[in-house]
Amino acid sequence: MNIKLNRMDQPLKFLIIDDDEHVLATLYDFLSDKKYDVISASDGLDGLKLLESDKQGFDLVITDLVMPQISGIGLISIIKKKFPDTPVIAITGWGEYPEAFATESQADKVLSKPFELSELDKAINKLISSKKHKV
Amino acid sequence: MATPLIGTSESIERIRELIDHVADTGLNVIITGESGVGKEVVAQNLYDKSPRKDKPFIKVNCAALPDGLLESELFGFERGAFTGADRKKRGKFELAHEGVIFLDEIGDMSLSLQSKLLHVLQSGEFAPLGSEKEVRSDAWVIAATNQELEQKVKKGLFREDLYYRLNTIKIFIPPLRNRPEDIPPLIDYYIEKYASQFDKKRIPKLEPDAMEKLMAYSWPGNVRELQNVLKGSMVIGDWKEIIDDLYFKSRSAAVTSSEESALEGASIVDVLLDFKGVYSSDQALFSLKKVTKKATDRIEKEVISFVLDKTGWNRTNASKILKISYKTILYKINDLNIKRHNE
Repeated sequence: MNIKLNRMDQPLKFLIIDDDEHVLATLYDFLSDKKYDVISASDGLDGLKLLESDKQGFDLVITDLVMPQISGIGLISIIKKKFPDTPVIAITGWGEYPEAFATESQADKVLSKPFELSELDKAINKLISSKKHKV
Repeated sequence: MATPLIGTSESIERIRELIDHVADTGLNVIITGESGVGKEVVAQNLYDKSPRKDKPFIKVNCAALPDGLLESELFGFERGAFTGADRKKRGKFELAHEGVIFLDEIGDMSLSLQSKLLHVLQSGEFAPLGSEKEVRSDAWVIAATNQELEQKVKKGLFREDLYYRLNTIKIFIPPLRNRPEDIPPLIDYYIEKYASQFDKKRIPKLEPDAMEKLMAYSWPGNVRELQNVLKGSMVIGDWKEIIDDLYFKSRSAAVTSSEESALEGASIVDVLLDFKGVYSSDQALFSLKKVTKKATDRIEKEVISFVLDKTGWNRTNASKILKISYKTILYKINDLNIKRHNE
Protein backbone atom coordinates (compact mmCIF):
# COMPACT_ATOMS: atom_id res chain seq x y z
CA MET A 1 0.00 0.00 0.00
CA ASN A 2 1.35 3.40 -0.87
CA ILE A 3 1.67 5.79 2.06
CA LYS A 4 0.11 8.63 0.09
CA LEU A 5 -3.19 6.73 -0.04
CA ASN A 6 -3.27 6.72 3.72
CA ARG A 7 -3.38 10.43 4.02
CA MET A 8 -6.57 12.35 4.51
CA ASP A 9 -6.78 16.02 3.54
CA GLN A 10 -4.03 16.95 5.96
CA PRO A 11 -0.58 15.41 5.96
CA LEU A 12 0.04 12.99 8.82
CA LYS A 13 1.79 14.60 11.75
CA PHE A 14 4.76 12.87 13.36
CA LEU A 15 6.71 13.69 16.48
CA ILE A 16 10.34 12.57 16.55
CA ILE A 17 12.40 12.68 19.74
CA ASP A 18 16.12 12.02 20.02
CA ASP A 19 18.93 13.71 21.95
CA ASP A 20 21.33 12.92 19.10
CA GLU A 21 21.14 15.86 16.68
CA HIS A 22 22.49 13.80 13.81
CA VAL A 23 19.85 11.08 14.16
CA LEU A 24 17.16 13.72 14.56
CA ALA A 25 18.24 15.52 11.37
CA THR A 26 18.39 12.30 9.37
CA LEU A 27 14.93 11.25 10.51
CA TYR A 28 13.57 14.72 9.92
CA ASP A 29 14.85 14.84 6.34
CA PHE A 30 13.71 11.33 5.55
CA LEU A 31 10.19 11.83 6.88
CA SER A 32 9.78 15.32 5.44
CA ASP A 33 10.70 13.93 2.03
CA LYS A 34 7.87 11.47 2.47
CA LYS A 35 5.59 14.52 2.88
CA TYR A 36 4.82 13.99 6.52
CA ASP A 37 4.42 16.95 8.81
CA VAL A 38 7.39 16.41 11.13
CA ILE A 39 7.99 18.07 14.49
CA SER A 40 11.10 17.28 16.47
CA ALA A 41 12.20 17.49 20.09
CA SER A 42 15.62 16.89 21.56
CA ASP A 43 14.53 15.30 24.82
CA GLY A 44 11.64 13.53 26.51
CA LEU A 45 10.35 16.54 28.43
CA ASP A 46 10.16 18.75 25.34
CA GLY A 47 8.51 15.88 23.50
CA LEU A 48 5.93 15.48 26.25
CA LYS A 49 5.23 19.22 26.27
CA LEU A 50 4.59 19.13 22.52
CA LEU A 51 2.26 16.16 22.91
CA GLU A 52 0.31 17.90 25.65
CA SER A 53 0.05 21.26 23.93
CA ASP A 54 -0.79 20.13 20.40
CA LYS A 55 -4.55 20.25 20.01
CA GLN A 56 -4.82 18.06 16.92
CA GLY A 57 -2.53 15.43 18.31
CA PHE A 58 0.14 13.39 16.57
CA ASP A 59 -0.45 10.44 14.28
CA LEU A 60 2.76 8.74 15.29
CA VAL A 61 5.67 9.18 17.69
CA ILE A 62 9.21 7.99 17.04
CA THR A 63 11.44 8.16 20.10
CA ASP A 64 14.94 7.26 21.19
CA LEU A 65 15.09 5.25 24.43
CA VAL A 66 18.15 6.41 26.30
CA MET A 67 17.69 10.13 26.91
CA PRO A 68 18.27 12.41 29.88
CA GLN A 69 15.42 13.46 32.19
CA ILE A 70 12.43 11.60 30.76
CA SER A 71 13.76 8.43 29.15
CA GLY A 72 12.09 6.90 26.12
CA ILE A 73 10.71 4.19 28.42
CA GLY A 74 9.11 6.81 30.64
CA LEU A 75 7.80 8.74 27.67
CA ILE A 76 6.22 5.66 26.08
CA SER A 77 4.48 4.76 29.36
CA ILE A 78 3.08 8.29 29.59
CA ILE A 79 1.98 8.31 25.93
CA LYS A 80 0.26 4.94 26.31
CA LYS A 81 -1.67 6.26 29.32
CA LYS A 82 -2.55 9.74 28.07
CA PHE A 83 -2.69 9.19 24.31
CA PRO A 84 -3.47 5.47 23.98
CA ASP A 85 -4.32 5.71 20.26
CA THR A 86 -0.96 7.15 19.23
CA PRO A 87 1.38 4.47 17.90
CA VAL A 88 4.99 4.65 19.07
CA ILE A 89 8.17 3.42 17.45
CA ALA A 90 11.16 3.13 19.77
CA ILE A 91 14.67 3.28 18.41
CA THR A 92 17.59 2.10 20.44
CA GLY A 93 21.23 1.27 20.24
CA TRP A 94 21.81 0.22 23.78
CA GLY A 95 21.55 -3.55 24.01
CA GLU A 96 19.00 -5.84 25.51
CA TYR A 97 17.87 -4.13 28.70
CA PRO A 98 16.32 -0.97 27.35
CA GLU A 99 14.91 -2.91 24.44
CA ALA A 100 13.19 -5.39 26.75
CA PHE A 101 11.82 -2.47 28.75
CA ALA A 102 10.59 -0.81 25.58
CA THR A 103 8.54 -3.88 24.78
CA GLU A 104 7.30 -3.98 28.36
CA SER A 105 6.15 -0.38 28.21
CA GLN A 106 4.21 -1.21 25.06
CA ALA A 107 6.15 0.43 22.27
CA ASP A 108 4.41 -0.71 19.10
CA LYS A 109 7.70 -1.39 17.37
CA VAL A 110 11.31 -1.41 18.52
CA LEU A 111 14.06 -0.75 15.99
CA SER A 112 17.71 -1.31 16.95
CA LYS A 113 20.32 1.07 15.61
CA PRO A 114 21.68 0.81 13.04
CA PHE A 115 18.59 0.17 10.94
CA GLU A 116 17.74 0.81 7.31
CA LEU A 117 15.41 3.73 6.69
CA SER A 118 13.34 1.37 4.57
CA GLU A 119 12.73 -0.71 7.70
CA LEU A 120 11.44 2.38 9.45
CA ASP A 121 9.27 3.20 6.46
CA LYS A 122 7.78 -0.28 6.56
CA ALA A 123 7.07 -0.04 10.29
CA ILE A 124 5.42 3.37 9.84
CA ASN A 125 3.18 2.16 7.02
CA LYS A 126 2.11 -0.85 9.03
CA LEU A 127 1.25 1.16 12.14
CA ILE A 128 -0.55 3.90 10.23
CA SER A 129 -2.69 1.49 8.26
CA SER A 130 -3.64 -0.55 11.33
CA LYS A 131 -4.48 2.69 13.14
CA LYS A 132 -6.73 3.65 10.24
CA HIS A 133 -8.47 0.31 10.38
CA LYS A 134 -9.16 0.77 14.08
CA VAL A 135 -10.77 4.18 13.61
CA MET B 1 4.06 20.82 52.80
CA ALA B 2 7.43 20.22 51.20
CA THR B 3 10.17 22.83 51.13
CA PRO B 4 9.74 24.55 47.77
CA LEU B 5 12.45 24.17 45.17
CA ILE B 6 14.22 27.54 45.33
CA GLY B 7 16.08 29.02 42.40
CA THR B 8 15.79 30.96 39.18
CA SER B 9 18.50 29.19 37.19
CA GLU B 10 17.57 27.43 33.99
CA SER B 11 18.33 24.03 35.49
CA ILE B 12 16.06 24.60 38.49
CA GLU B 13 13.28 25.93 36.24
CA ARG B 14 13.66 22.82 34.13
CA ILE B 15 13.47 20.54 37.18
CA ARG B 16 10.29 22.31 38.32
CA GLU B 17 8.80 21.75 34.89
CA LEU B 18 9.87 18.11 34.94
CA ILE B 19 8.30 17.59 38.38
CA ASP B 20 5.00 19.06 37.12
CA HIS B 21 5.00 16.70 34.16
CA VAL B 22 5.91 13.45 35.87
CA ALA B 23 4.51 13.72 39.41
CA ASP B 24 1.26 12.03 38.40
CA THR B 25 2.85 9.18 36.44
CA GLY B 26 4.14 6.97 39.26
CA LEU B 27 7.15 6.11 37.07
CA ASN B 28 10.38 5.23 38.86
CA VAL B 29 12.56 8.26 39.45
CA ILE B 30 16.24 8.60 40.20
CA ILE B 31 17.53 11.90 41.54
CA THR B 32 21.25 12.53 41.25
CA GLY B 33 23.60 15.27 42.34
CA GLU B 34 26.31 16.06 44.86
CA SER B 35 25.68 15.89 48.60
CA GLY B 36 23.58 18.76 49.86
CA VAL B 37 22.07 19.88 46.54
CA GLY B 38 18.53 19.11 47.68
CA LYS B 39 17.68 15.66 46.33
CA GLU B 40 15.21 15.03 49.13
CA VAL B 41 13.54 18.38 48.46
CA VAL B 42 12.95 17.28 44.87
CA ALA B 43 11.57 13.92 46.07
CA GLN B 44 9.17 15.67 48.43
CA ASN B 45 8.05 18.07 45.71
CA LEU B 46 7.30 15.12 43.44
CA TYR B 47 5.28 13.54 46.25
CA ASP B 48 3.47 16.79 47.06
CA LYS B 49 2.35 17.24 43.45
CA SER B 50 1.33 13.62 43.03
CA PRO B 51 -2.06 12.04 43.70
CA ARG B 52 -0.26 10.15 46.50
CA LYS B 53 0.29 13.20 48.65
CA ASP B 54 -2.13 12.11 51.37
CA LYS B 55 -0.46 8.71 51.65
CA PRO B 56 2.80 7.98 53.46
CA PHE B 57 6.20 9.29 52.37
CA ILE B 58 8.72 6.83 53.75
CA LYS B 59 12.42 7.61 53.63
CA VAL B 60 15.10 4.95 53.87
CA ASN B 61 18.79 5.76 53.93
CA CYS B 62 20.42 2.79 52.23
CA ALA B 63 23.91 3.78 53.41
CA ALA B 64 23.03 4.07 57.10
CA LEU B 65 22.40 0.41 57.84
CA PRO B 66 24.32 -2.83 57.34
CA ASP B 67 22.92 -5.16 54.72
CA GLY B 68 20.88 -7.50 56.92
CA LEU B 69 19.30 -4.68 58.86
CA LEU B 70 18.49 -2.76 55.70
CA GLU B 71 16.79 -5.82 54.30
CA SER B 72 14.54 -6.24 57.34
CA GLU B 73 13.94 -2.49 57.34
CA LEU B 74 12.79 -2.56 53.71
CA PHE B 75 10.84 -5.79 53.65
CA GLY B 76 10.04 -6.50 57.29
CA PHE B 77 10.10 -9.89 59.02
CA GLU B 78 7.86 -12.50 60.53
CA ARG B 79 7.94 -13.45 64.18
CA GLY B 80 10.73 -15.99 64.70
CA ALA B 81 12.44 -15.17 61.38
CA PHE B 82 15.73 -14.92 63.25
CA THR B 83 16.99 -14.90 66.83
CA GLY B 84 15.53 -11.90 68.53
CA ALA B 85 12.62 -11.47 66.11
CA ASP B 86 10.07 -11.84 68.88
CA ARG B 87 7.38 -10.05 66.95
CA LYS B 88 6.41 -9.37 63.38
CA LYS B 89 7.69 -6.16 61.84
CA ARG B 90 6.27 -4.49 58.76
CA GLY B 91 8.80 -3.31 56.22
CA LYS B 92 9.05 0.15 54.72
CA PHE B 93 7.74 -1.10 51.39
CA GLU B 94 4.57 -2.22 53.12
CA LEU B 95 4.28 1.03 55.05
CA ALA B 96 4.72 3.02 51.84
CA HIS B 97 1.85 1.19 50.11
CA GLU B 98 0.03 3.67 47.84
CA GLY B 99 2.54 6.32 48.91
CA VAL B 100 6.20 6.97 48.21
CA ILE B 101 9.30 5.10 49.27
CA PHE B 102 12.33 7.38 49.02
CA LEU B 103 15.50 5.28 48.78
CA ASP B 104 18.33 7.65 49.58
CA GLU B 105 21.95 6.68 48.82
CA ILE B 106 20.81 3.84 46.57
CA GLY B 107 24.36 3.55 45.19
CA ASP B 108 25.42 2.00 48.50
CA MET B 109 22.95 -0.88 48.31
CA SER B 110 24.53 -4.35 48.12
CA LEU B 111 24.12 -6.47 45.00
CA SER B 112 21.98 -9.02 46.82
CA LEU B 113 19.56 -6.36 48.03
CA GLN B 114 19.57 -4.81 44.57
CA SER B 115 18.17 -8.02 43.14
CA LYS B 116 15.43 -8.05 45.79
CA LEU B 117 14.60 -4.46 44.96
CA LEU B 118 14.50 -5.33 41.27
CA HIS B 119 12.01 -8.09 42.07
CA VAL B 120 9.72 -5.60 43.84
CA LEU B 121 9.99 -3.16 40.94
CA GLN B 122 9.13 -5.86 38.43
CA SER B 123 6.33 -7.62 40.28
CA GLY B 124 5.18 -5.13 42.92
CA GLU B 125 5.56 -7.96 45.44
CA PHE B 126 8.06 -9.00 48.07
CA ALA B 127 8.37 -11.59 50.82
CA PRO B 128 9.20 -10.41 54.35
CA LEU B 129 12.06 -12.34 56.00
CA GLY B 130 10.87 -15.69 57.29
CA SER B 131 7.66 -15.52 55.30
CA GLU B 132 6.63 -17.64 52.37
CA LYS B 133 3.81 -15.35 51.40
CA GLU B 134 4.45 -12.42 49.10
CA VAL B 135 3.08 -9.05 50.13
CA ARG B 136 1.85 -6.58 47.50
CA SER B 137 3.08 -3.03 47.60
CA ASP B 138 2.10 -0.23 45.31
CA ALA B 139 4.84 2.11 46.50
CA TRP B 140 6.18 4.75 44.17
CA VAL B 141 9.94 4.34 44.16
CA ILE B 142 11.99 7.52 44.14
CA ALA B 143 15.70 6.82 44.56
CA ALA B 144 18.60 9.21 45.04
CA THR B 145 22.36 9.01 44.88
CA ASN B 146 25.42 11.22 44.77
CA GLN B 147 27.39 8.47 43.02
CA GLU B 148 27.93 7.88 39.33
CA LEU B 149 25.73 4.84 38.88
CA GLU B 150 26.91 4.38 35.27
CA GLN B 151 30.43 3.85 36.61
CA LYS B 152 29.19 1.43 39.25
CA VAL B 153 27.35 -0.51 36.54
CA LYS B 154 30.55 -0.72 34.48
CA LYS B 155 32.47 -2.00 37.50
CA GLY B 156 29.80 -4.60 38.22
CA LEU B 157 28.81 -2.97 41.51
CA PHE B 158 25.34 -1.96 40.41
CA ARG B 159 22.94 -4.13 38.45
CA GLU B 160 22.45 -2.85 34.94
CA ASP B 161 18.82 -3.99 34.77
CA LEU B 162 18.03 -2.19 38.03
CA TYR B 163 19.85 0.89 36.78
CA TYR B 164 17.72 1.11 33.65
CA ARG B 165 14.56 0.41 35.58
CA LEU B 166 15.23 3.21 38.05
CA ASN B 167 16.40 5.52 35.30
CA THR B 168 12.94 5.91 33.78
CA ILE B 169 12.90 9.50 34.96
CA LYS B 170 16.26 11.01 35.82
CA ILE B 171 16.54 14.30 37.63
CA PHE B 172 20.04 15.74 37.92
CA ILE B 173 20.50 18.67 40.28
CA PRO B 174 23.65 20.63 39.41
CA PRO B 175 25.98 21.78 42.21
CA LEU B 176 25.40 25.27 43.58
CA ARG B 177 28.71 26.56 42.16
CA ASN B 178 27.31 25.98 38.66
CA ARG B 179 24.21 28.07 39.33
CA PRO B 180 25.31 31.04 41.45
CA GLU B 181 22.18 32.97 40.41
CA ASP B 182 20.26 30.66 42.76
CA ILE B 183 22.26 31.81 45.79
CA PRO B 184 20.44 35.15 46.44
CA PRO B 185 16.93 33.63 46.33
CA LEU B 186 18.11 30.74 48.53
CA ILE B 187 19.56 33.19 51.05
CA ASP B 188 16.33 35.21 51.09
CA TYR B 189 14.25 32.10 51.58
CA TYR B 190 16.29 30.64 54.42
CA ILE B 191 16.76 33.92 56.26
CA GLU B 192 13.00 34.31 56.28
CA LYS B 193 12.58 30.72 57.41
CA TYR B 194 15.18 30.80 60.16
CA ALA B 195 14.13 34.24 61.39
CA SER B 196 10.89 32.72 62.61
CA GLN B 197 12.74 29.74 64.11
CA PHE B 198 15.39 31.82 65.86
CA ASP B 199 13.07 34.07 67.84
CA LYS B 200 12.68 36.65 65.08
CA LYS B 201 16.33 37.51 65.44
CA ARG B 202 17.18 39.44 62.29
CA ILE B 203 20.58 39.82 60.83
CA PRO B 204 21.65 43.00 59.06
CA LYS B 205 20.85 43.20 55.38
CA LEU B 206 23.50 41.81 53.10
CA GLU B 207 25.50 44.48 51.33
CA PRO B 208 25.97 43.92 47.57
CA ASP B 209 29.69 43.23 47.94
CA ALA B 210 29.01 40.65 50.64
CA MET B 211 26.44 38.96 48.40
CA GLU B 212 29.00 38.97 45.63
CA LYS B 213 31.44 37.15 47.87
CA LEU B 214 28.82 34.58 48.80
CA MET B 215 28.04 34.07 45.13
CA ALA B 216 31.70 33.67 44.27
CA TYR B 217 32.28 31.03 46.94
CA SER B 218 32.31 27.45 45.62
CA TRP B 219 29.92 25.91 48.21
CA PRO B 220 31.35 22.39 48.17
CA GLY B 221 28.61 21.36 50.60
CA ASN B 222 25.98 22.97 48.34
CA VAL B 223 22.61 24.13 49.73
CA ARG B 224 23.17 22.27 53.00
CA GLU B 225 26.37 24.22 53.59
CA LEU B 226 24.57 27.44 52.74
CA GLN B 227 21.88 26.55 55.27
CA ASN B 228 24.46 25.94 57.97
CA VAL B 229 26.23 29.17 57.19
CA LEU B 230 22.95 31.08 57.40
CA LYS B 231 21.99 29.42 60.67
CA GLY B 232 25.40 30.38 62.00
CA SER B 233 24.95 33.97 60.90
CA MET B 234 21.53 34.12 62.59
CA VAL B 235 23.13 33.07 65.86
CA ILE B 236 26.08 35.42 65.60
CA GLY B 237 23.88 38.16 64.14
CA ASP B 238 26.56 39.31 61.76
CA TRP B 239 27.68 38.56 58.22
CA LYS B 240 31.27 39.66 58.55
CA GLU B 241 32.47 36.71 60.55
CA ILE B 242 30.65 34.30 58.28
CA ILE B 243 32.20 35.73 55.16
CA ASP B 244 35.61 35.63 56.83
CA ASP B 245 35.01 32.00 57.54
CA LEU B 246 34.25 31.22 53.92
CA TYR B 247 37.21 33.30 52.84
CA PHE B 248 39.33 31.13 55.12
CA LYS B 249 37.81 27.94 53.78
CA SER B 250 38.33 28.73 50.11
CA ARG B 251 41.78 30.03 50.87
CA SER B 252 42.88 26.96 52.74
CA ALA B 253 41.37 24.80 49.99
CA ALA B 254 43.36 26.74 47.41
CA VAL B 255 46.48 26.52 49.53
CA THR B 256 46.11 22.76 49.97
CA SER B 257 45.57 22.22 46.28
CA SER B 258 48.66 24.19 45.37
CA GLU B 259 50.59 22.15 47.94
CA GLU B 260 51.73 25.20 49.79
CA SER B 261 50.58 23.74 53.04
CA ALA B 262 53.21 25.66 54.97
CA LEU B 263 51.10 28.74 54.41
CA GLU B 264 48.03 27.14 55.89
CA GLY B 265 49.10 27.96 59.43
CA ALA B 266 49.31 31.58 58.45
CA SER B 267 45.75 31.65 57.15
CA ILE B 268 44.42 30.05 60.35
CA VAL B 269 46.15 32.78 62.32
CA ASP B 270 44.65 35.37 59.99
CA VAL B 271 41.19 34.11 60.66
CA LEU B 272 41.50 33.52 64.35
CA LEU B 273 43.00 36.91 64.91
CA ASP B 274 40.77 38.54 62.30
CA PHE B 275 43.81 40.22 60.79
CA LYS B 276 42.92 39.93 57.16
CA GLY B 277 39.21 39.86 57.48
CA VAL B 278 36.67 42.44 56.41
CA TYR B 279 36.91 44.05 59.84
CA SER B 280 39.83 44.52 62.23
CA SER B 281 39.89 42.90 65.63
CA ASP B 282 39.60 44.79 68.83
CA GLN B 283 43.06 44.58 70.42
CA ALA B 284 41.68 45.02 73.89
CA LEU B 285 39.65 41.82 73.63
CA PHE B 286 42.57 39.84 72.31
CA SER B 287 44.26 37.14 74.36
CA LEU B 288 45.91 33.80 73.65
CA LYS B 289 43.36 32.10 75.86
CA LYS B 290 40.49 33.51 73.78
CA VAL B 291 42.11 32.56 70.51
CA THR B 292 42.80 29.04 71.76
CA LYS B 293 39.20 28.71 72.93
CA LYS B 294 37.93 29.89 69.57
CA ALA B 295 40.15 27.42 67.72
CA THR B 296 39.24 24.52 70.01
CA ASP B 297 35.53 25.28 69.76
CA ARG B 298 35.77 25.29 66.04
CA ILE B 299 37.54 21.95 65.82
CA GLU B 300 35.28 20.39 68.46
CA LYS B 301 32.22 21.55 66.59
CA GLU B 302 33.47 20.11 63.30
CA VAL B 303 34.45 16.77 64.84
CA ILE B 304 31.30 16.32 66.93
CA SER B 305 29.07 17.28 63.96
CA PHE B 306 30.91 14.81 61.78
CA VAL B 307 30.55 11.93 64.27
CA LEU B 308 26.89 12.78 64.94
CA ASP B 309 26.15 12.77 61.23
CA LYS B 310 27.92 9.45 60.80
CA THR B 311 25.93 7.89 63.64
CA GLY B 312 22.63 9.32 62.40
CA TRP B 313 22.60 11.60 65.47
CA ASN B 314 22.73 8.72 67.90
CA ARG B 315 24.21 10.68 70.80
CA THR B 316 25.00 7.59 72.87
CA ASN B 317 27.06 6.03 70.07
CA ALA B 318 28.68 9.35 69.22
CA SER B 319 29.74 9.92 72.84
CA LYS B 320 31.27 6.40 72.93
CA ILE B 321 33.23 7.06 69.73
CA LEU B 322 34.43 10.42 71.02
CA LYS B 323 35.19 8.91 74.45
CA ILE B 324 33.27 11.60 76.29
CA SER B 325 30.29 11.16 78.59
CA TYR B 326 26.73 11.35 77.36
CA LYS B 327 26.23 14.43 79.50
CA THR B 328 29.25 16.12 77.93
CA ILE B 329 28.04 15.53 74.38
CA LEU B 330 24.63 17.01 75.22
CA TYR B 331 26.35 20.02 76.72
CA LYS B 332 28.63 20.42 73.68
CA ILE B 333 25.76 20.15 71.23
CA ASN B 334 24.02 22.95 73.02
CA ASP B 335 27.08 25.07 73.76
CA LEU B 336 28.56 24.86 70.27
CA ASN B 337 25.15 25.10 68.61
CA ILE B 338 25.56 21.89 66.67
CA LYS B 339 22.57 21.33 64.45
CA ARG B 340 21.37 18.29 62.63
CA HIS B 341 21.88 18.54 58.88
CA ASN B 342 18.53 18.46 57.23
CA GLU B 343 16.87 20.38 54.50
